[in-house]
Amino acid sequence: MTPPAPPPYAELDVTTNFTFLRGASHPDELVVTAAALGLRAMAVTDRNTLAGVVRAWTAARDTGLHLIVGCRLDLEDAPSVLVYPTDRAAYGRLCGLLTLGRRRAPKGSCLLVRDDLASHAAGLIAVVLPPEEGDLDPVARDVVAFREIFTDGCHLAARCRLDGRDAGRLAALAAVAARTGVPLVATNGVRMHTPARRPLLDVLTCIREHVTVETAGWRLAANAEAHLKSPADMAALFAAYPDALARTVEIADRCAFDLAELRYEYPDDITPPGRTPQAYLEDLTRAGMAWRWPDGAPERVRTTIAHELTVIQQLGYAPYFLTVYDIVRFARSQGILCQGRGSAANSAVCYCLGITAIDPATFDLLFERFVSAARDEPPDIDVDFEHERREEVIQYIYTKYGRDRAGLAATLITYRSRSALRDVGKALGLSQDAVSALSGTVWGGSSRPLEDAHVREAGLDPDDPRLRLALSLVEEIRGFPRHLSQHVGGFVLTRGPLHDSVPIENAAMADRTVIQWDKDDLDALGMLKVDVLALGMLTCVRKAFDLLRETGGPDLTLATVPADDAGVYDMLCAADSLGVFQVESRAQMSMLPRLRPRCFYDLVIEVAIVRPGPIQGDMVHPYLRRRQGLEPVRYPSGALRRTLEKTLGVPLFQEQAMRIAIDGAGFSPSEADSLRCAMATFRRAGTIHGLRDRFVAGMLRNGHERAFAEACFRQIEGFGEYGFPESHAASFALLVYVSAWLKRHHPAAFACALLNSQPMGFYSAAQIVRDAREHGVAVQPVDVTRSAWDNTLEPAGGSGGPGGLALRLGFRQVKGLSGPAARAACERLVAARAVRRFRDAEDLWRRAGLSADVLEKLANADALAGLGLDRRDALWAVKRLTAPPLPLFAVSGASEIGAEPDVDLPDLREGEAVVEDYRSLRLTLRAHPLALLRPDVERDGVMSTRRLRAAADGARVRVGGLVVCRQRPGTAKGVLFITLEDELGVANLIVPARVFEANRRAVLRARLLYAEGRFQTDGEVQHVLVSHLTDRTDRLAGLTAEPSALALMPSRADRVGRFPETVSSHRGNA
Amino acid sequence: MTRPDTPDADRRDHPFALVTETGNTATLSAVTRAAEVAGVFAGMPLADARAVCPALVTRPADPDADLAALGALADRATRYTPWTAIEPPGPGGEGGLWLDITGCAHLFGGEAALARDLRERMRAAGFSTVRVGLADTRGAAWAAARFLAGAGGETPGLALLPDGAQRQLLANLPVEALRLPPDTVDTLHRLGLRRIADLLALPRAPLAARLGPVVARRLDQALGREPEPFTPRAPAVPWRKTITFPEPIGRTEDVERAIETLCRALRPRLEQADRGARRLLLEMARVDGSILRRVVGTSRPTRDPEALARLFQETLDGLDVGFGIESMALTLTVVEPLGAEQHGFVRGPGQTADATVLLFDRLRARLGPGRVIRPAPRQSHVPEAAVTTADRAPAAADTWPATAPRPSRLLAPEPVEVLGGNLPPVRFRWRRRVWTVVRAEGPERIAPEWWHGAEAPAPNRARDYWRVEDAAGHRLWLAREAGAGWTVRGVFA
Repeated sequence: MTPPAPPPYAELDVTTNFTFLRGASHPDELVVTAAALGLRAMAVTDRNTLAGVVRAWTAARDTGLHLIVGCRLDLEDAPSVLVYPTDRAAYGRLCGLLTLGRRRAPKGSCLLVRDDLASHAAGLIAVVLPPEEGDLDPVARDVVAFREIFTDGCHLAARCRLDGRDAGRLAALAAVAARTGVPLVATNGVRMHTPARRPLLDVLTCIREHVTVETAGWRLAANAEAHLKSPADMAALFAAYPDALARTVEIADRCAFDLAELRYEYPDDITPPGRTPQAYLEDLTRAGMAWRWPDGAPERVRTTIAHELTVIQQLGYAPYFLTVYDIVRFARSQGILCQGRGSAANSAVCYCLGITAIDPATFDLLFERFVSAARDEPPDIDVDFEHERREEVIQYIYTKYGRDRAGLAATLITYRSRSALRDVGKALGLSQDAVSALSGTVWGGSSRPLEDAHVREAGLDPDDPRLRLALSLVEEIRGFPRHLSQHVGGFVLTRGPLHDSVPIENAAMADRTVIQWDKDDLDALGMLKVDVLALGMLTCVRKAFDLLRETGGPDLTLATVPADDAGVYDMLCAADSLGVFQVESRAQMSMLPRLRPRCFYDLVIEVAIVRPGPIQGDMVHPYLRRRQGLEPVRYPSGALRRTLEKTLGVPLFQEQAMRIAIDGAGFSPSEADSLRCAMATFRRAGTIHGLRDRFVAGMLRNGHERAFAEACFRQIEGFGEYGFPESHAASFALLVYVSAWLKRHHPAAFACALLNSQPMGFYSAAQIVRDAREHGVAVQPVDVTRSAWDNTLEPAGGSGGPGGLALRLGFRQVKGLSGPAARAACERLVAARAVRRFRDAEDLWRRAGLSADVLEKLANADALAGLGLDRRDALWAVKRLTAPPLPLFAVSGASEIGAEPDVDLPDLREGEAVVEDYRSLRLTLRAHPLALLRPDVERDGVMSTRRLRAAADGARVRVGGLVVCRQRPGTAKGVLFITLEDELGVANLIVPARVFEANRRAVLRARLLYAEGRFQTDGEVQHVLVSHLTDRTDRLAGLTAEPSALALMPSRADRVGRFPETVSSHRGNA
Repeated sequence: MTRPDTPDADRRDHPFALVTETGNTATLSAVTRAAEVAGVFAGMPLADARAVCPALVTRPADPDADLAALGALADRATRYTPWTAIEPPGPGGEGGLWLDITGCAHLFGGEAALARDLRERMRAAGFSTVRVGLADTRGAAWAAARFLAGAGGETPGLALLPDGAQRQLLANLPVEALRLPPDTVDTLHRLGLRRIADLLALPRAPLAARLGPVVARRLDQALGREPEPFTPRAPAVPWRKTITFPEPIGRTEDVERAIETLCRALRPRLEQADRGARRLLLEMARVDGSILRRVVGTSRPTRDPEALARLFQETLDGLDVGFGIESMALTLTVVEPLGAEQHGFVRGPGQTADATVLLFDRLRARLGPGRVIRPAPRQSHVPEAAVTTADRAPAAADTWPATAPRPSRLLAPEPVEVLGGNLPPVRFRWRRRVWTVVRAEGPERIAPEWWHGAEAPAPNRARDYWRVEDAAGHRLWLAREAGAGWTVRGVFA
């Protein structure tokens, strides 16, 4: 005899982890579990937010579960209430209500009172949540009030908590229900998808309450009953109240609203009145064509454009292009340099509209220039703007569309290893010491799991029970949302009020608002956004163009920089790329001589190849071997030949990986896209395994080798973390070319623009200046008689750099001079100097109105040399001026500087001057410290980098130099890269993890480092595989301190040894 | 570095550091020698220090305790001179101890002998690195201790500046030896003025016009050209009051009145310090020289003289005063923060709680602290773990939360033999009797505290409690636990 089927049940009270620190399961976990348990429907009711509904909706779509979009409204003056919109209009009202509550509260909170509900309640079904403890009489009054508000349905939630008092409580609630006529509905107050999440739920409670599990006490739940239960379990609990169960299904059936109903509508004010967007776009494109090709566009281009316009019409994307065009047009009108990238950006239409500068006639090499009608993918255009001026563009968008129609997408900040460790550790009462020791072993915001080895490295015992517990909880909590932040620049623009579609809340920045959904959510719903991003290199390029124009050079734009310049490619092949966009990192520099780019498309590949995707997929070496002709070009199959032809049969781009999934593994385009999404949002281990098996099986079925299939999948996994599509690489490649062209032909202007755009890029000012000088640019010191705030170009005089221009360092290079006040002071100085030359320090001080601080910094930077004062004399002079003035003189206005006996300060020795340069400017134009120390260093048996370059492959070498760069990329398995610099060049070190561990102090502390190891070279790429390191920072002390003083202070030698900061060390990932 | 009285004293030979947190950044405020060798230094951000030396052990810095320890050292140094002072560690340098030994040295066999003795005693007390400088002026002594009393020399750790040689010795020292603010030192360095000799060579007026009077003053003070007043440290006053009687007293009332007088006398100080007494020691000196002692404690910080005096009354039964008591001392051995409070302005319900507290304290004073206990809530859902005993007065929030009814007395689990029914059993045998359940309520499900082991316990390990009642109205508390079957956990009255 089989038991009768339990009555159907729909769970209406579900808190996901988007109610931060209260829900212990991801929305998709809950949806999948609800489907598996056979629930009729499940609602998502997070507290005053809809941030998690899209994820739940996506998962529900995949599993076929009926998802009810809902929300729990926590009110200031009444019990909380769950609400569910029955249709699109009611959903819009709910969004409006949440926007109202969120906008008037500080970031992260929401302020709503019962009176706010009345005007938004139409079409909402409500379930009132009675307080868990205490007298129900006041609740009855509230329930009556809610009944008047929610005329479309008001219910009272009943829940069995298994606290021994359920029977009495249900009876009392039933009595309230009978008295008020508000019917009872069964819920389970779900906080987690499985009872196994109880520890995590408790930990979240502890984090929220700032307590430890030991002290949390009654703040924790007594049991794990707040998990999703099966209809049978619920039927058993509510055996006496079958109506309450049945009502869940009634409510679910009435909630027919589906997020798919959100139809995105483009703004209509981008089109002149009376024109259709398509017609207007076609006009603009035609006009653009005439502008781009004054002599008429080539036939091929005309065909392409016609085809693109047809597709745009089919898909109705014209308003999107017009939206982007409008923003770009504004930027151009303000002289802000910008460039679009992304699949749609590489279209010929975008070239005509001026959104990109990649000429489709010249660079017709891209695979898939454009969205295809067959593939149902949204157009994707990101626009990069100069990083210093992006805010102007953002303000334009807000002004044009208003805050109710323009919103920034959110970015979901989730727990990563370090933050998870800190919070979980605190909750479990681990000592702060242990927690910081553990997080010290995690470099950067890694999302890799903590391994036992890391734990041991931190001096802790991985077998300690409490620690084990903590680590397993850290694993569980990783990926949990913590708060919503603003996306770097993803704007959503709509025709009607945005808060009809999604709640809007305050961002941390004043005057910024963000919507509650992030970019994946928007993608899932097909809502279009425009990414308004900031890019430092655009600032640099614009400044370089300006400098060229001002100094009588050519007048250039991104599109008119001479293409296909062999000299530029020669320079790149030699890895002479410091400062060049994208290809200036150590990894790129060692790739350049191997890849030997000779044309624009090679640059596209160069940009894309040094990325986690191709590296994890082991695609780099096969590609290089094929390129060098060391291995035949083979295609995995005829079907994939077309996809892989441009990259010699090796998939390098995200688009190729997706095509392999489609053509090779038989995925549908939307499946391939969900594959990409699944990779992007990690922590869906379950789904990934399924996808992997399907992918590999599909590949095998279509006759591919297992090894190839698995490599492709690894690559897709790599793309997930940092996807790099060809369409983006192409736009970046243009900036690579343009910046390389500037460096090659106008090194002074390029270096000057680069310095004026700091902070950006990989290199410090010292390295940029050094590189410029090596390229023949004369660099002049900061000087109050000549410098401006920015670095400038001036006639080179006799020394004669290329183009006859010398680079004059500006006041912005002086350490400590930053911010508007310092800048204004320096501008006053320049203005005063234009009136009349400064006579002396006092004249400078008085007429420029400089503060003591600025004046001293200038003196220390040796910027008063033009007044005949060396560094020490200058400091001596300005110290006199900047002492607090005596009141009498201030009133009379007379010079208070009386005659003084002459003072003879000790002369600055060269070593001291160099050290002082680094202290005040972070760079020196004098001798390199290593040049001064050369005799000492020679005695230590250290060879110069010049001699190193001539060493034989495999030779044992010992080099030394200043540490200019340290990197430990996530992809390099603990290997550390260090760059040393001496007066003759640089040496690249590779430090294996083992050597790093044995030499931590030297690696992390040394400014002057000796390295011993084996020299490795293949003719182009050279490095030292290090076996031993020595910190010889003490040698630098010899530059500055008097030996006698050193001898007197034996106990203080370590302090003297603290050489002032020489160069900033980069510690980021490649 | 490491105070010898802390449990971390044995970390001296390991990488160990004290950490100060300001805002979101933690920086090392002091490090051991071993830590320095490993590459970390005071002033380094903790995160950087961890990267350099993962084995670094840290504790939060406690500047107050450091000062207190320095103070205690200064107190001990009063064996040499009554004139001692401490120099708190600051941006200008490490902390230290000042001793003005004018006129004292001969008692210890001369200056050198005194300095050696001082150093040896400090070392014996656990301070491994002690440097002593001795000179005619404070400035010179400061410099000597820090820059001349190195490991070398004939007497390591000692630097005695001979008369007259002061100027010459000082001249060779770096300018840091002048007790100058760090940025002044930095400016001097930038000007190329590294040694005191460089300063001595300069005309005074231009120097003062640039660096202010401080450089010249420090120079003059070190060289004895300008006097530098010495402010000795005031001795710490203990929480103690004494009273001496003109005639020995013997009557209990007199003793009680004296106690109250003492309590009253300490009250203003307690008020000023926002403190209340938690433990008090009364010492009564009898005429024959022996001392009678009484100790009382309170369950919350108190400074009400009457209440405190009443506690002592409970301890005075059978007090043998002999030929009388000639003096009494009251010491507050434990004081705790107590905010300003207004007691008894309105006689209301709050008064009853106070009465309970007073009764509790008096009972404890009379019967002894171990004999009076009070059950207090312990925040745990597990019934047998939810109670503890308290020796303090209950706080307002100190109650159990509302739960399903609990028996007033818990039993150790006693297994029952189930005879029929399940969830809960309808008939079962317990204590040799068969029980038939007519009413039951439950379950109350209580999950175990998962954080005690390495693995979270399986979710089904929860314990279910039922209240059951038989026809005669006896009510039992039954529980079922996976693997343990049904047990009786309590009997309802």
